[in-house]
Amino acid sequence: MINLVNEKLILLNQDAKDWKDAIKKACEPLLNEGKIKETYVDGIIENVIKSGPYIVIAPHVAIPHTHPDKGVIENAIGICVLKNPIKFGNEANDPVKYLFTLAAISGNKHIESLSSLALLLEDEKFYKVLDNSKDSKDVMLFLQEYERNKGNV
Amino acid sequence: MYKALVCCRAGMGSSLLLKIKTDQVIKENNFPIETEHGNLDSLIGFNGDLIVTMADLTDELKDKVSYAVGIMNIMNKNEIKEGLEKFLKERGNL
Repeated sequence: MINLVNEKLILLNQDAKDWKDAIKKACEPLLNEGKIKETYVDGIIENVIKSGPYIVIAPHVAIPHTHPDKGVIENAIGICVLKNPIKFGNEANDPVKYLFTLAAISGNKHIESLSSLALLLEDEKFYKVLDNSKDSKDVMLFLQEYERNKGNV
Repeated sequence: MYKALVCCRAGMGSSLLLKIKTDQVIKENNFPIETEHGNLDSLIGFNGDLIVTMADLTDELKDKVSYAVGIMNIMNKNEIKEGLEKFLKERGNL
């Protein structure tokens, strides 16, 4: 996972006015870093409108993503933390505070990264770090430390 | 051994995470289930015993498959465990 994230892909303490805005915010750094195209962002939003908030997978957690053929350039994971949690229309898991945007071409690397993301997502410490970090460097430090201790993040 | 398809709409994100979690639960509990992973298209031609998917998809799919387990919180292993146990009980395996 650590290979797919970097400081520039992490946004903390963000404002969003609604779920669409939250998805756009979360995608912004991936756009700026050339990981995805605009069409991918539109693809995610269209898909949520069409199919419902399928990207909300756990309490307060969304993983914006859609078919890679909508415009993924390079494998990456973005992290976006909202100041004010936003409702996505998923009763069980609303409101969403943490967005992990997945840009995945395919392949085993992607599965490996998701396995480590799965571990992180059930680690309370990770959310504390996301809540309390002032700078995305702090999140990266945590992720590096996490990798050293667990061996395979 | 039962065959389960873990799927979501795109087959790239939620279902992979769900497969990782489902496999953990199966291993921890020694359930006689093996999983494969895919998207909604994988349902065509799937001849296994159950699907595991996100709760919002279950309603849509329940007529197309013999058994569907819908999960609301992917990170909640208890929810996954209970869903699989219910299936196994119905099949007389628990």
